[in-house]
Amino acid sequence: MSGSTIRVIIGPQHPALKEPERFILETEGEYVVDVKVRIGYIHRGIEKAMENRTYLQGLYLSERVCGICSDAHTTCYVQGVEELLGVEPPPRSRFIRVVVAELERIHSHLLWLGVAAHEIGFDTLFMYVWRDREVVMDLLELVSGNRVNYATNTIGGVRRDLNDERIQKIVKGLKILEERTKEYLKMIEKEQTVLKRTTNVGILSKSDAIKYGAVGPTTRASGVKRDVRADDPYAAYDEIPFNVIVEDGCDCLARIMVRGKEVLESINIIREALKRMPSGEIRVRVKPRIPPAEALSRVEAPRGELLYYIRSNGTDKPERCKIRTPTLANIPALCKMLVGGYIADVPIVLAGIDPCFACMDRVLIVDREKKRADVWTLDMLRRYGREWYQRH
Amino acid sequence: MSREEEILRKLEEKFGEKIKGIRIQRSRRIFAEVNVEDLKDVLRYAKDELGFDHISTITGEDLGEALGLIYHIAYENSIELSIKTRIPKNNPKIVTIIDLYPPAGIYEREVHDLLGVIFDGNPDLSPLLLPDNWPKDVYPLRKDVSLEEMRALIEKGGGEK
Repeated sequence: MSGSTIRVIIGPQHPALKEPERFILETEGEYVVDVKVRIGYIHRGIEKAMENRTYLQGLYLSERVCGICSDAHTTCYVQGVEELLGVEPPPRSRFIRVVVAELERIHSHLLWLGVAAHEIGFDTLFMYVWRDREVVMDLLELVSGNRVNYATNTIGGVRRDLNDERIQKIVKGLKILEERTKEYLKMIEKEQTVLKRTTNVGILSKSDAIKYGAVGPTTRASGVKRDVRADDPYAAYDEIPFNVIVEDGCDCLARIMVRGKEVLESINIIREALKRMPSGEIRVRVKPRIPPAEALSRVEAPRGELLYYIRSNGTDKPERCKIRTPTLANIPALCKMLVGGYIADVPIVLAGIDPCFACMDRVLIVDREKKRADVWTLDMLRRYGREWYQRH
Repeated sequence: MSREEEILRKLEEKFGEKIKGIRIQRSRRIFAEVNVEDLKDVLRYAKDELGFDHISTITGEDLGEALGLIYHIAYENSIELSIKTRIPKNNPKIVTIIDLYPPAGIYEREVHDLLGVIFDGNPDLSPLLLPDNWPKDVYPLRKDVSLEEMRALIEKGGGEK
């Protein structure tokens, strides 16, 4: 293999999922030696659209930035707008925001665990986890009326209250989720199918996690104790005791364990929030026009630090609304993880940061020497990964 | 003295009049403004001496005659310092900060795409968000580009203006 690198192009097109990314891998033999990234295939210009719409219309746009963490986006957005207005949402609404945010995190992490299992060919786990994911989706539907795009937040509070009957059902659902998650964590720690494919795979050292600006479970799996909920508290997180989950494995296994344990921690947070939730109003009315001001709002979305910078100009529309999603922040770190690894590990390493999966569905393999290009689907790459591991 | 006040005092001591309009908006949020030639010194000092080891993102905005850039950097994932600077719209050049913050590369690419800022020294300013055949002189987040114009461009499938 003297000096000939082969370019493997992963992505981008996929009509079903959001955020397609394209990774151009330079490979030498089985190793990845360089990575380049291209995103934007479904860039919708939401920031520009926000400037042309009222703050309330912007709320509905922010709900639709991401299908999995829509609540994180609206929370971040309304917090920013509330800061511009100088309005405090009522205490009860801040606790309801925590409950929905943590239900969303449980959903996102379980969904991810299923996807990660699928990437390494462990479809039994995938099926079980996605069955249990229905439990939390039902709870979200109970609380918000929707299985996705919960539309809970509004500027000045939340739109729906929690009554005793709903709280009882949440508590019951949490018990099932807790038992199942504990079972999976116990199993993953011993299951060779998982361990062989994830231990020491996709290494990101602690110093690299900081240097490359990784966020969320990705950085916490590299031993960096950073969580916006704890470090820069919002909603009611400063009134609820909870642990920031950290693992020091720095590999894909650590990323699984962090998210699994975070599900259990989220369950505890919801229980505490329901216990401590004061009674009272759930929203305050606000004016549509906002005097000139600026606000920087952050939340811990399921995938990590999410940030909105909003500037008002005295009208009912923002002058600028900047959004930075956690997946973008994790891409430099992801490139670092891929370099030096095997091609066969690319699916699980990519899955490790919990990106949106669209990127992976078409793989173009270009052999520079032979000037030949083959298009691989994600299934073909997965199969390649599994077969490669059976041989080695 | 709170940690925010300490940071504010240190920045004022070190940079004096070079750092303008510095204020603590609320707990964990500091905003400041610098001239473009002082930007890197301030960022370097904040990173190396004050412990702002994380860059959250770079915001670009159209301010009419000028383009504004805001560098959002974080101290212990808690205090966000937003440093603003502006560059003329007819010569939108600024030096890259990837030597200080490697992940800034991808944020600079985004601002380059959407506002046409050229980051001197960034080796990869290839399109990140816009199509490959997007016209060179249309920057979607500039205020003179209307939604109608962009819609027409997209319907045409990109290409030169």
